Amino acid sequence: MTDDRRANDTPIQISEAELNAMTADMDDMHHASLPALRDAVDEFKQLADDLRSHAAGDGAKTAASRRQFLFGSGVVLGGLALAACASSSKTSSTTTATNAPTTAVSSGAGKLTGDLAIVALAAGLENLAVGTYGAGIAAAKAGKLGTVPPAVVNFATTAQSHHTAHAAAWNAVLRQADKPAVTGVDKTVKTGVVDPAFAKVTDVAGLANLALALENVAAATYLNGIGLIQGVAGIQTAASIQPVELQHAAILNFVLGQYPVPNAFALTTGARVPSDVIG
Amino acid sequence: MSIDQRTLAERVEESKDLHSDSMRDTHAALDEMVDVGHERIAGGVDPDEGHQLASETSRLLSGGVMGGGALAAAGFGAALVALVGSPAFASQTTDVQMLQTSAAIENLAVATYQVALTLPFIGGASALPVVKTFVTTTMNQHADHAKAFNAACITLGGKAQNNPDPTLLAVVNKAKPTLNGPAPVVALAIELETGAAETYVAYTSALSNLNARKVTASIMGIEAQHVAVLLAVQALIAAGHPDLITLPPPLAQLPAAAGSVGFPNAFYKTDMARPATEGVLK
Repeated sequence: MTDDRRANDTPIQISEAELNAMTADMDDMHHASLPALRDAVDEFKQLADDLRSHAAGDGAKTAASRRQFLFGSGVVLGGLALAACASSSKTSSTTTATNAPTTAVSSGAGKLTGDLAIVALAAGLENLAVGTYGAGIAAAKAGKLGTVPPAVVNFATTAQSHHTAHAAAWNAVLRQADKPAVTGVDKTVKTGVVDPAFAKVTDVAGLANLALALENVAAATYLNGIGLIQGVAGIQTAASIQPVELQHAAILNFVLGQYPVPNAFALTTGARVPSDVIG
Repeated sequence: MSIDQRTLAERVEESKDLHSDSMRDTHAALDEMVDVGHERIAGGVDPDEGHQLASETSRLLSGGVMGGGALAAAGFGAALVALVGSPAFASQTTDVQMLQTSAAIENLAVATYQVALTLPFIGGASALPVVKTFVTTTMNQHADHAKAFNAACITLGGKAQNNPDPTLLAVVNKAKPTLNGPAPVVALAIELETGAAETYVAYTSALSNLNARKVTASIMGIEAQHVAVLLAVQALIAAGHPDLITLPPPLAQLPAAAGSVGFPNAFYKTDMARPATEGVLK
C-alpha cells in the first residue's frame, strides 16, 4: 500500500458485496500461499516414510506386506468360517491387487485409502461388536438364552461399553481427517458370520463362542494393522485397544471352560481387511 | 456502507504482516525438522538423544487412545513435535534398548514364577491345580517372549539380554519375604504383568524397526491376558471364594463383578511402562 493511499483519510463508499468480494480475494491469496507450506509438510512426511522403510530394512517387503494385508483374503473369523463372505465381498483380492497400491474401504465417508481405510474397518468391527453384544443382552433379557449368570451379564455390558468407546476413538480419528464417522458395521462379517451364527444361539455358551470369535478377530485385525499403519496416532490407538480385546477373549475362554491364555503370541489369523463392506 | 480507508488499509497491512510472519516461522520450523531427519538417516542418533525421543514418544503415548485428539487440541506446533517423536525418527540404537529391556522384563518374570512354583501354595501339594497350571504355563510363555525379544535384538545387531530387569528385580526381592500366601503372590504377579503389558504398548509405537514392533505387539496382549486372569483370581480370593477358581468355573456361583474385573479399562494404559534404558546391557 502506497503512502499516497495511507494519506487519504477520506471515507470510501463501498457496498457490502464489494467488501465481500475483496475479502474473498484476500482469502484466495492466503490459500494460494498454502501449497508451499503443504509441499514442505509433504516433504517431511515423505522423509518420515523413507526413514521407516529404511529402518524396516526392506521397504519393498513392507509395501508387499501392506498390500497383502489390504488385499488379503482372510476368510476365517475365529472358529467360524467366513466362506460366504468371499463371494459377497464386492472386492476380490485377485482383481484389485494389481489396480491400486491400497484397497479403498467404502463407508459413509466414501472411498477411504491407506490408514483411514484401516481406521474405518476398525470402526465398523467395533460397531458390529457393540451391536452383537446388544443383541445378546436383549436376548438374555427376553429369556431366550435360559438362565444367564450375573457374571456373564456383567461381562457383556462392560465389554459392550468398551467397544462403544473403541468405535468412538476410531471415529474421532476419522473426524480429525475431515471424514464422516462410521456409523455402520462390517457387513461382510455381519452377513457372512454373525447373523447366521446368532440365529443358532440358544444359550450362554453359544453367545460366548460368538463373542469370542468377534474379540479374536478384532484383536487379530489390530495386530495386523499395527504392522501396516503409517501414522503414529493410529498405531497408538490400535496398541491401546488390542490388549483389551484379548482380555475380553481371555475371560470368554474362561467362561467356556477353555484355557484363558492359549497362545504365547497373539495371532493375526482371521484379521479382517479393508475390502470388507462397511455400512 | 462507509469505511474509513485509513483504518481499512492499516488492518489489511496488519493482516499481511501476520500472514508473512507465520509463514516464515513455519517454514523455518519445517526446514529444521527436515534437516534433523536427514541427519538421522545419515548418522544414526545419539543414544541419549534416542532415549529422549523414546521418552517423548512414551510421554505422548501416555495420552492413550486419543493421541490424535491430543495433537488436534495442542495445535499445529505440537503436532510437528509429535511427528519428530514418531517411530520414523527413532533409531536402531533405541530399538535395541527397548528390546533388551523387554527381554530383561521377561527374564525377571520367568525367575519370579520359578520362585513362586517353589511355594507350597502355588506349586506344591496345597496349590489349586488351576493356579499351578497357570503359573507354569505363564512362566513358559514368558520364556518364549524373552527368546523372541532377544532374537529381534540380535537381528538389529544388538546382544541378547539374559539377565533380569535390575529395577524390577529389586521390587521382587523386597516382596519375597511377604509371599506367605496366594494373595501376595498374585498381587506381585499382577504388578509385573501390568508393567510388562504397559511397557510393550508404549514401545509398540516407539519402535522404528517393523519386525521389532510386530514382535512386541504380538506379546503385549498376552501379558494383558495374564493380567486379566490374575485380576479375576485376585477378586475371588479376596471375596473368600478360592474354591470357585476352577476350569470350567461354576458360572452361576460367580459374583457379578467376576465378569468384568479382568479388564478395568477400555484402553490399555502406559503409565507403568518401564524406561527404555532400564534393562539394557551394561
